[in-house]
This record gives sequence, structure tokens and C-alpha cells, in this order.
Amino acid sequence: MNSGTRHSVQINPEKCIGCVHCMIACPTKAIRIKNGKALIIDEFCIDCGECLRFCPEDAVESKTTSFSDLKAVPYKVVIPSTVLYGQFDNATLPNEILFALRRVGFDYVYEISTICELNNSALEMYLAAHAQPRPLISSTCPVVIRLIQRCFPSLCDHIVPIEPPRENAAKILRANLPRMTKIPASDIGIFHITPCPAKMVSINHPASMEKSYLDGAISIRDIFTAIYQTLRQNKEETIMSHLFPETIFSGTGVATALSGGETRGLKNRRTVAVSGVRDTIRVLNQVELGLLKDVDLLECTVCPDGCIGGPLTVENRFLAKSRILRLVNLMGERTVVDSSDMNVLYSKDFLSFHYPIAPMESPPLDNDPILAIRKANHRNEIFQRLPRKDCGACGAPDCRTLADDIVRGQAALEDCPFAKKEAT
Amino acid sequence: MFHVRGVLQGRRVLSERKTITKNSVFRQEFPIKGGDFSRAGEVSWAIKNLLKELGLSTPVALHAAIATYEAELNIIMYAWEGRLVLSVSPGRVQVVVEDSGPGIEDIELAMTEGYSTATLEMRELGFGAGMGLANIKKNTDIFLITSEVGRGTRLEFTFLTNGQRP
Repeated sequence: MNSGTRHSVQINPEKCIGCVHCMIACPTKAIRIKNGKALIIDEFCIDCGECLRFCPEDAVESKTTSFSDLKAVPYKVVIPSTVLYGQFDNATLPNEILFALRRVGFDYVYEISTICELNNSALEMYLAAHAQPRPLISSTCPVVIRLIQRCFPSLCDHIVPIEPPRENAAKILRANLPRMTKIPASDIGIFHITPCPAKMVSINHPASMEKSYLDGAISIRDIFTAIYQTLRQNKEETIMSHLFPETIFSGTGVATALSGGETRGLKNRRTVAVSGVRDTIRVLNQVELGLLKDVDLLECTVCPDGCIGGPLTVENRFLAKSRILRLVNLMGERTVVDSSDMNVLYSKDFLSFHYPIAPMESPPLDNDPILAIRKANHRNEIFQRLPRKDCGACGAPDCRTLADDIVRGQAALEDCPFAKKEAT
Repeated sequence: MFHVRGVLQGRRVLSERKTITKNSVFRQEFPIKGGDFSRAGEVSWAIKNLLKELGLSTPVALHAAIATYEAELNIIMYAWEGRLVLSVSPGRVQVVVEDSGPGIEDIELAMTEGYSTATLEMRELGFGAGMGLANIKKNTDIFLITSEVGRGTRLEFTFLTNGQRP
């Protein structure tokens, strides 16, 4: 067990008081309290960020890119998630937010909604070309990918092998920016503005390519104040930004900030959109049982209501959702992606995974089958001796997990205050 | 008066049972309540995870999960209460499902794909397509069913995992 070096969240031991909130909230039971501090078990963590949401002490920190990291980058490019457009008041339009980002210090601001729409068309083409397997599962949420790799390995080949919009946007920029700007490729740093810490893991440890096209991800929480202040201080100039509308927005693309955003474009397909980590787990289990074979595309996002409910957002998700829906209405359903361009990109596999997603299964109780059976029996015996209060006082989220930790040699029966009292 | 019918079906039948010592068998019982649709799938989920923890391959764990899901649903839909007992020993995974319920009058008919006595209400929930028992048989190596009308049904199905761990 270690503090989760591979992962997008870390516990600040200075702030952690060893309460049980994050441990109980963790959907994969990846947190234990050892010596009064929370510890994340690397192999079980899927980077959903639930711990970050539930920590009352603000001790769970996201390992996203900080402003000081950006200083060393000569040419800073930013690709904000469409979620950002819902974080400010109704009067603040996307153009103004993009303008403010330039003011904040980015050399190039790339609007992603067109790529989101492109991604939807690519999904449609992939669905049309592949009759099996069903349902196909969208690849946008990196946590869903980790969840499938770890807990539903048989579903790896259900994942649509198309990179999510943020990666494809960065790929397009990498290919074109050096030529367009005459800036050497090595001087260009491309960053995503993200509503969740998981994007950081998909950048540092991608599951479907050797190296991500992005250099980092900045949390909406961290950049919010800078944008907000810029917008307030430069009111007149901000309004001017509307007089030079250089950016084409896609309504369909902006809608991908919400759960169901990817499926709403697929009019002639049977689709299901699920949001929230527990419901996602439930549905993926049903898919593994073969219960959703009549569905063409399953869109899962582990944050409630989609990316708009990400743990690194500022605005409450209901207000943010209403703003996004308003923007989608303003922009309309017209398509901005040219279908012939799309066909070229798709046929060249420009948007595809470099390699398929591989399962990452957790180890059995023991490699020796007889010993594994003995350990499972022993675990049940231990469980019978535990109080089943699931209080978390032992440092494990519930009694069943403590029994599991004991047979795996990670804990002792005496860790349970009730069992200990009985023994003395 | 009641009558007993039994059908033995399966691809392979073990000629003799190996002597298995208590220590090399893992056994766990799961109670299932009739009519409780909200908990449907919980036993199957637990079994899938248990089998993986015991080192069985994903395909075996999945076949077992699908078969137990169907068995679990049958109890929830038709019986009053029941229990499922999982036993795992090296080389085989066995599931025994017993319920107290109305029983099955004609087992051969019930085994037919598409035959169902599900009510309209159940079908509206998306259940009762008449694939349950057939699906269990399809996913298991040995399948045994006995039923007593007015008393209940007993299923016994086995996965042979020879050549693989346990």
C-alpha cells in the first residue's frame, strides 16, 4: 500500500484527520486509514474523485497542473472543457470566457465543441461499420475505462476505440500549430481545463496510446478566480470580443458537458446514458450479464449528470446544467462539422486508439487454488467474528473488507475495537 | 397428491465424485427472497467476484454469474423464498438452488426457449422472456433440475474447470 503515486488524487497528511468520510465514499474500497491518516491503495483506485468530494477537511488534493508548472512553457495552448462555459453567470458567453483565457496568459485558446461534434459523428460511423459487440461503450470518461479494465475486464472490447475529443483536439493542434505559428513543436505545451482529476491520469498513464497529446490538465477550481477577475476588470474589452467572432461553436458539441450529450446526436440508434459512479457500476454489471444486448451505444460518465458534475467544478451542477442547456438552445442543432472532412479523418484512423484497452485484473486471494479456497473460508470465519457495524474504526471501510485485508495479511483482527474488547 | 419429475441434462457427467476434504471446498449460502426485484442481481454479483478472488478465469466467473442471475430471478419472480449454495473445489464450481414455491408442472416445456409463465407485469419490467432455464443450461456443464408441484424446485448446476485453476 502506498499513497497512490500513479493516481490523480493524493492525501495531504498535514490536513488529513483520519476520519472515515473518504473511505466510506470510495466505490472500489480503495482507501484505508493507517496510523490516523487516509491511504489510497493504488491497485484499486479508479480516479473517480469521490474522496475529493466527500472530504470535510479539504485534505484530498488533485494532482492537476498548477500555474507555476506553466511558467516554464514558452508557448501555452489551452483546450477548455465545454463544462467551463456553465461555470459563470448567464450573461457570460463562451466567447468572453475564451477571451479571458487569452488575458490570463495563454498564447492560443482552442475551442473544443467542434471536436466534440466530430467525435459524435465518428461514433455514428463506427456504430454503422460494426454490428458487434453490443452495447458499445463510449470512451470519453477515463474513469469508466479504468473501471472496465479493473472490474469488468470482459467489456474491454466493447469500448469504442476512438480517442475522446480532448485528445483529438490536441492531436490536431500538434499537427498544425508549428506550421501555423512558426513556433517550434518543442516549445508548445498543450493543456486541458478539466472538471475532474481523472483526466490527469489519462494524460500521464494513457490506456490506449504510448503518450498523450496533452501535456497536462488544469483544474477548473484553480483557474476559475483568474478568469472571473479578468472578466470583471476588462468588461468593455470583453464585450468587444463579440464583435470579432472568430470561433465557431457547435451546440451539439457543447451539450457533451452533460450526461446524454454523446448519445443525443445519434438519432437512429438505441442509446442509454448513465451517470454517477454507483449507477455506472450497476449498469456495467448488467452489460456483463448480457442484459443490454439490444442497446447500440452506452454512454457512462461517473460524475453525476455528466462532466458538469465533476469534483473540480465551482458552480453547482444544476445551475451549470441549466446554463449549458441555454447555450445549446442559443447555438442550435446545426452541424458545423463537414462530413467529407470527417470521412477523411475517420478513414485514415486519425481519431482511433493506437492500441486496444487491456484488462487490468486484480490478483486472486492466492495463486494456489487450494490456498485460495482456504483463505476464502478463513475470511468467512473472520467475518462471523466481526460486529458487522461497518463503522470504519479499524481503518477498513466495512467488516467484510477488514476480513479480506486480514487474510491478505494487510490487517489484524485486533484492528477491530469490538473484536479486541471481546478478546480481553 | 403431488408428482416428482426430474430431467438430467448436460454435456458431461462426472462418473465419480472425488473425495474432497472439508478444507479444499469453499461453501457459501445466499438466501433469496421472492418478489424482491430491487435486490435482483446481488447474489450473482457476489458470486462473480468470489470466483475471481478464488482465481477462476473471467469466462468461468461470467458463465457462473449469468446462470446464477437467471436462477436468482426465477426465485424472485415465481417462488416465495429460496437459497443458493455455492461450492467451489479445485476443478469444479457447483451451485445448488432450492426454493419453496409453486414448482414446475412440465419441466421439458419450461426448458423450451421462449416458453414463459411470466405475468404481464413482470414482462413490463423487462423480465420473463422465457429464456431463463435454457440460458442456465447453455452456460453450465452439468445441469440438473427437479421439481415438486406445490412444494418447490431444485436446480443443481456445475462448471467443470479442469485444466484451469480451481
